[in-house]
Amino acid sequence: MNNSQLFNYTHGSSTSTDDGSQVEAIKIYGLSNYYFYSKPAPPLKNQTLEERISCLKTRYDVCGIRTCVEAVILVELSKTPQLLLLQLRNSTYKLPGGRLRPGESDIEGLKRKLTNKLSVHSDGILPDWEVGECLGRWWRVGFETLLLPYLPPNVRSPKECRKIFLVKLPERQKFTVPKTHKLLAVPLSQLHENHEIYGPVISGVPQLLSKFPIETASR
Amino acid sequence: MACPVVNTYPLSGYTFANKEPKLDKDTNVPDRLTRMKTNYMKQGMRTTVEGILLVKEHNHPHLLLLQMRNTFYKLPGGRLKPGENEIEGLKRKLSSKLAAPSAGVQPDWQIGECVGVWWRPNFETYLYPYCPPHITKPKECKKLFLVHLPEKQFFAVPHNLKLLAVPLFELYDNIQRYGSVISTIPMQVSRFQF
Repeated sequence: MNNSQLFNYTHGSSTSTDDGSQVEAIKIYGLSNYYFYSKPAPPLKNQTLEERISCLKTRYDVCGIRTCVEAVILVELSKTPQLLLLQLRNSTYKLPGGRLRPGESDIEGLKRKLTNKLSVHSDGILPDWEVGECLGRWWRVGFETLLLPYLPPNVRSPKECRKIFLVKLPERQKFTVPKTHKLLAVPLSQLHENHEIYGPVISGVPQLLSKFPIETASR
Repeated sequence: MACPVVNTYPLSGYTFANKEPKLDKDTNVPDRLTRMKTNYMKQGMRTTVEGILLVKEHNHPHLLLLQMRNTFYKLPGGRLKPGENEIEGLKRKLSSKLAAPSAGVQPDWQIGECVGVWWRPNFETYLYPYCPPHITKPKECKKLFLVHLPEKQFFAVPHNLKLLAVPLFELYDNIQRYGSVISTIPMQVSRFQF
């Protein structure tokens, strides 16, 4: 028997818009429902800021604006919703995701990246990632500038656009994580307004999720 | 595909007039929190609804904000009556703050999706975009809704308030001037195509 417990205190009526549409709750499952394995990793590229900027410049000359897609994936731990983050070598935190190939759609690209970063290709069966709505977007105006949650006026050629998507996990899943990364679950309360440690994109995730009631299903 | 379109129109399409002042019931934070406590004892958790109204100027979205006493910025909106529907309540508050006072002619406010929710766990000024896990009795829940403005509209603003159109780039990262809720609106609406 599943017990549903609402994390967000909703006090009766759920949020609805003029046309009667409701915000669908995000169902999350306990971290213990998921299994994590390690997998060998390809050597890391572009480890320094200079290398990353240089790579961005080179690719921009060939392909134009870089589009990145990233996933917000939630699990439950200690009765609180927690965000899955990849951590590189004890320092930078990242949402799972990455760069789109030219002509690739957002959803296809995100599924490809999630499979790449978090799964095994066993028997050619790819996991069926459930990609939900786009939660937010960030733009990089210059090669070396910071990400902004809007495209400033009169900017004709932004260098990068990053889209953050909600990804819903099934009740059980196996993950494999490249040896070069750690996969962490971080409570939303730890991320909120914590730009210094997590950067503006990750620290803003709790707000982008705030409109969704979050339900935990526990056995 | 993933980015819904929100139509925004130039500021020049809107007319602004003054109307009777709408004085705040409290003039300072401690008084406001005391009144919140009193109301909580009578009616339980306060639900506040606020509107995000956007116009376009210089090719960039601008947020309509009410400014009081030269220092304090608010989104148009306010507290729901006990049992009142969120959408109806927001329309009521928008008319109260922004519509001409003439009876029977209320603007047809188009309320869009909820863009964010903030919680007040205690009788303090702190708000969070989640209800902290150990809090079973939050004191306030504040919901922000996108409001779709038509190309032309007549606004009448209480003359003790100023109505400003502030560009998103000015709000971003500006917690000191606008607070956590308003300064993060650019991020909350970043998924929309303007």
